[in-house]
Amino acid sequence: MNTLTNAADRIIDEEPYYEPHGNEVEIFAAAYRNQLPILLKGPTGCGKTRFIHYMSWYLQRPLVTVACHDDLTAADLVGRYLVRGGETEWLDGPLTYAVRHGAICYLDEIVEARKDTSVVIHPLCDDRRILPVDKLGQLLQVPPEFSLVVSFNPGYQSVLKDLKQSTRQRFVALEFGYPEATLEQKIVSTESGVDEDTARRLVKFGEHTRNLKGSGLEEGASTRLLVNAGKLIACGISPAIACDTAVGHALTDDPELLHAVHELAAAVF
Amino acid sequence: MSDGARQNLFNLIRIQKDLEKISGQVLARIPRANEVVAEIAELEREAQDFIYHWTEVIALSNDELAAHFVANAPAAFVWLDQPAVEEWIIKAMDAFDNRGLGFAVEVFDELQAYVAAHGDRQTGCQFDQVAGFLRYLVKGLGGRTLQVASEPHAYTDTEKIFLPQALSVLEGQAANASLYKCLAAFLWAQNRYGTWRYRALEEAIRQLDAAETWPLYQRLESVRLCACLERDLPGLQREMEALAYADDSARAAWDTFRARVPSLLAEDATAQTSLALVAELRGLPLPPPLRFQGEMFPARVREALFRRVPREKAALQRALGAMQNELEMHTPDDEQNRPGAQAPNRFSVSKGEDEQGRSDFHELRYNNERVPMGPELESLLDSILQDLGDLDDDYLDPKALRDAYPADRESKQGPGEDPDGHEGGSRVELYPEWDYQRQRFREAFCALTEQDVPFGDEGFAAATREKYRGLSKSIQRVFEAILSEAQRQKKQAHGDELDLDALIEAHVDRLQGREMSDRLYTHLRKSGRSVAVMFMVDMSGSTKGWVNDAERESLILLCDAVATLGDQYAIYGFSGRTNKRCEIYRIKTFDEPYNGAVKRRIAGMAPKAYTRMGVAIRHLGKLLNAVPARTKLLITLSDGKPEDYGSYRGRYGIEDTRHALLEVKRSGIHPFCITIDKEAQSYLPHMYGPSNFTVVDEVQKLPWKVADIYRRLTT
Repeated sequence: MNTLTNAADRIIDEEPYYEPHGNEVEIFAAAYRNQLPILLKGPTGCGKTRFIHYMSWYLQRPLVTVACHDDLTAADLVGRYLVRGGETEWLDGPLTYAVRHGAICYLDEIVEARKDTSVVIHPLCDDRRILPVDKLGQLLQVPPEFSLVVSFNPGYQSVLKDLKQSTRQRFVALEFGYPEATLEQKIVSTESGVDEDTARRLVKFGEHTRNLKGSGLEEGASTRLLVNAGKLIACGISPAIACDTAVGHALTDDPELLHAVHELAAAVF
Repeated sequence: MSDGARQNLFNLIRIQKDLEKISGQVLARIPRANEVVAEIAELEREAQDFIYHWTEVIALSNDELAAHFVANAPAAFVWLDQPAVEEWIIKAMDAFDNRGLGFAVEVFDELQAYVAAHGDRQTGCQFDQVAGFLRYLVKGLGGRTLQVASEPHAYTDTEKIFLPQALSVLEGQAANASLYKCLAAFLWAQNRYGTWRYRALEEAIRQLDAAETWPLYQRLESVRLCACLERDLPGLQREMEALAYADDSARAAWDTFRARVPSLLAEDATAQTSLALVAELRGLPLPPPLRFQGEMFPARVREALFRRVPREKAALQRALGAMQNELEMHTPDDEQNRPGAQAPNRFSVSKGEDEQGRSDFHELRYNNERVPMGPELESLLDSILQDLGDLDDDYLDPKALRDAYPADRESKQGPGEDPDGHEGGSRVELYPEWDYQRQRFREAFCALTEQDVPFGDEGFAAATREKYRGLSKSIQRVFEAILSEAQRQKKQAHGDELDLDALIEAHVDRLQGREMSDRLYTHLRKSGRSVAVMFMVDMSGSTKGWVNDAERESLILLCDAVATLGDQYAIYGFSGRTNKRCEIYRIKTFDEPYNGAVKRRIAGMAPKAYTRMGVAIRHLGKLLNAVPARTKLLITLSDGKPEDYGSYRGRYGIEDTRHALLEVKRSGIHPFCITIDKEAQSYLPHMYGPSNFTVVDEVQKLPWKVADIYRRLTT
């Protein structure tokens, strides 16, 4: 957790590669200026995290990312006392750290976190803009530079893990999908270094796998997977093997589906 | 008489006796019984035992069939090995189950045909081996979702792709599997690239005659479709090209043919282009068919098209109507009434701004504003455009729906309204059934439909609650106790609070110079309930009277209690008469809240026919498996053992039920049975396992028992 300390180091210097799908950059910037928290919705691998990195660079604010999991509690976000050499010592959690340093705090897959995290998220997200740190007996007033961004994937979450209305109605929501074919082609070729034609075929293959969503596959190939396959191809791996390893096996274990995905890849190359 | 001859005679007598013992009728029905017995005597002892065993099993179904089996069995052992003989028997038995005695006898009597087909199968490829994969492949390729089914001819009717049961055209199984793939892809391409587009089809039917010009048209279309595939799926096209021709002369003939029709290779070629060429090329010698070309049945396509087009048109208009209502709600009134505002609000569909000009990319506009389409609408539009190429204005006019189409009325009719259940209306699902004698499934043996229960007395729920007021309170308390079983765990490595006791202990340890623990936190672990319960209620005729009343009352009390837990649950009744009419009655689905309609359906549950349990378990297990939950329970309320008209009595029914339960157990469901049959001890342990059932002697105890099961299985 020591890496948390230096906020200036956490500002991204180099512009991350990001292709806007629509006007999400302007919307994010406007929401940020108005101190509104932001909710990113979309399937896995469609560019949510990359977008946040880009915005962090664009706004020149440090970025604190927390990958939420089922055991993530409010204390994990706010901070806790640690016992060190007979003394207890307070350690800021990532959220408190972000508030103190006016950073962008990105809670990835927020629905995975424990329900009690809403205790700290709610007062942060409305016009109070405060972070209660009950163990220190403090109420931190949140600086205008701070911004809270959460993401969730409405597609594969079970009904048990839906975002509550009281939480979601505090956010400005940006919906992400897979980019349109030509844009996705550009992203795949830029990110992976394959030529245009290969990128076109990869995207076509991606569309074929997305047709299988709901009838066997939980999700089709994300842009990220296509980029991964492209990277392997750029290194000289044959397209069929690259698609099998980077996409097919990543999507499913079912032998018949694997066979179908394999043939779909073979069909476009 | 020599020793050998005597031995032989003994043998013959023994076999004759054995067969008579198994079934007295069988030998009497065989015309040349003596010869058959002599042939059987020639076989190995193992083969003889095999024949005895199966004769016995088959005779249980039908003596006549058993006789045909015995008559052909010795010859079968000459041509086939034992597993193949077994397959042959099963094929005949399946024919008997599904199509009747005549077809089954045919399978036994036409042994030679079976032997020939069996030989092919060794080198060929079976439809069943590739069907699953092909379904995914076709779905993945996109466009309207096409089913894949088996029929003697390879063709498509634009709803399904039909492929033969087996292919042994090429050498080796892999090559034939590849041919299957190419057939499916080519028939998919006919759908995708507009061979069956409405106008083209009508024109083709008008202009072409079956004998002469259809074959020419089919070849022209093959040229065009192969060119389309080459552009979009070059890898697949390479594979198709490699196995398209029987020999070099065929390849040469196709090359010549292709060279005559360059216009079909162009990107903008359509079925109409092919049609225009027919007149020009009439009389030309045709190249032999491509291997994956399949056949064309325009009449069947037209039939499917005529069914689909009005249905989809109405569905589109309905969807757009709903969308329009929503859009107009968000438009301020003054904007709608603004003078000089452009004429009526309307939808339009335009090709999207895809730089590659792909024809499958569309966007929907409303008053020239782009509106997003959900996946259903998108695939509907896609399917319509696949049929028509473009849309007439009335497709996009929700108001045109008023002159309702028959197809529209049809879709509104609920399955329960169909008086006869199985014909039309509700969807029939086929399930296998386990035959313990054959140690095999009878494939697709049970036809099952889901139906709604008619509403019953509205006051039933309230009356029941009043009647069992005290009991329902205590059940409620038991259930609430389950809920509050959250606990604070001490001495945790991580947690939300410091554990003072642990901290003091650790401090003492440190002062004494001992190693201190780092488990200093308390952690509140709520019992995160993730339970889904399926109640499967016996609605057989035997429940008539107080059993049915008891079941209904228990369900009311149960629903109240389970609702406090917030668990997901569903209630279905089951009954049926024979394997052809298995029925499942929807009382409450998982998605439905516990509301007035559910209460009235519970009140409306009435005794029906018999208890065919296996198929009900398989179906409800499938529904339960679709629900996301950590713990899944299938609770059966029953009054007796499985029983149905026909063979589903005694051991057969019990074994099928047991097998069905094993299947759902394997998929992670806990089955449990609550019964009021006092003799249940004799068969329930065998079906459900020794501890997975309970026998209730008084109805009042029923909800109590369920509370118990909850505690046992879910905490």
